[in-house]
Amino acid sequence: MDDPQNFGDEKLVALCQQGQKECFEILVRRYMTKAFHIAFDFTRDTETAKDLSQDAFMRAYANIKQFDGRSSFYTWFYRIVVNLCLDHARRRKRVSWQSLDDLGDEPGEQQQLADSTFAPDQEAIAGETKRKVNATLHGMPKKQRTAFLLRNHQGLSIADIAQVMKTTEGTVRVYLHRAVAALRQSLVEFV
Amino acid sequence: MTDRLKELESACKDYEEDLVLHYYGENSEADGKRVTEHLAACGRCRLFVDDLRRLLPQMAKSEEMPQSFWDSYYRETVAKLAEQEERKFWWRSWLVPAQGWLVPAFGTAGVVVLVIGLLFGKGNLDSFMERSPVKIPQEILVDSNQLEFFKSMDILESLDHLEQQDGTKSQPNSTTHTDRTRYYRGVA
Repeated sequence: MDDPQNFGDEKLVALCQQGQKECFEILVRRYMTKAFHIAFDFTRDTETAKDLSQDAFMRAYANIKQFDGRSSFYTWFYRIVVNLCLDHARRRKRVSWQSLDDLGDEPGEQQQLADSTFAPDQEAIAGETKRKVNATLHGMPKKQRTAFLLRNHQGLSIADIAQVMKTTEGTVRVYLHRAVAALRQSLVEFV
Repeated sequence: MTDRLKELESACKDYEEDLVLHYYGENSEADGKRVTEHLAACGRCRLFVDDLRRLLPQMAKSEEMPQSFWDSYYRETVAKLAEQEERKFWWRSWLVPAQGWLVPAFGTAGVVVLVIGLLFGKGNLDSFMERSPVKIPQEILVDSNQLEFFKSMDILESLDHLEQQDGTKSQPNSTTHTDRTRYYRGVA
């Protein structure tokens, strides 16, 4: 008999939809590294990334019957992860802005606080360059950041990113270009 | 530094997007050819692409987690999935421990309800079984006397025709048919 470990995503998903939970556990093993790293790229915090990526697996499993196979499993799953991360960032931002209102309008203060909110895990930051990259990434519009992280950090093709973000490939190209240009500009002193 | 900044700012704007896509290998064949030709002629754009090659892979470097982290991650995820599944089918957890006694208990309760129903509900059952056939409203029912009357009325109606036929042969009587009809209707 074939080993389910060797099955493709499509077959595993079909078996999950028939109620074979073990097949979803294979998908967990297959995508846990990527899921965690996407979440980490967004949050820069190990524990939060772990929680968010695990939540994504749970949501994917709960909704596996609604997966219609129009896209590949991984683009569908990446979308869940990204949405959870953006949701999480939105909630945190709301808290940050609340604090900013209390502190005042000094740009320096804002920047300092913004940096500290998305970089709680100091070990994950390997120096000034990384801090600057993170600051720029988190300062850019979320769509640009998503496109950049999925392409640069996760290696997804532009076509796949378009599916994950439910937009056109042309739009993804624009997001990617703007993100790269912003990052390059912010890192000009390190170039 | 200022010179370098100037170089960055004066990079070919028309090509910048294509250069990013070129770095990621996402250009179409035609665009790729066009960009390659431009790069051969433009030093600023070559610097731009060099910067991308130097910077972007560094950004993509992620923390290497030890194997123990992934083992724990996997175990936790599977446990969370099981917990979610359990919450989804909470009624199963209620049924499973009760499986031993639940079936005979429900069976006994069913029998008791049936017996009570038969004993105390007997009168109701009889009345249900002996229920009269469909009741027809009184207004619709025709009394047998009324039926006879209407039959006689039919005969009386036909008398008019008989009298008309006889009228040509004999003299009319002192009481007309109409009077007789009125008389009979009054009696009825």
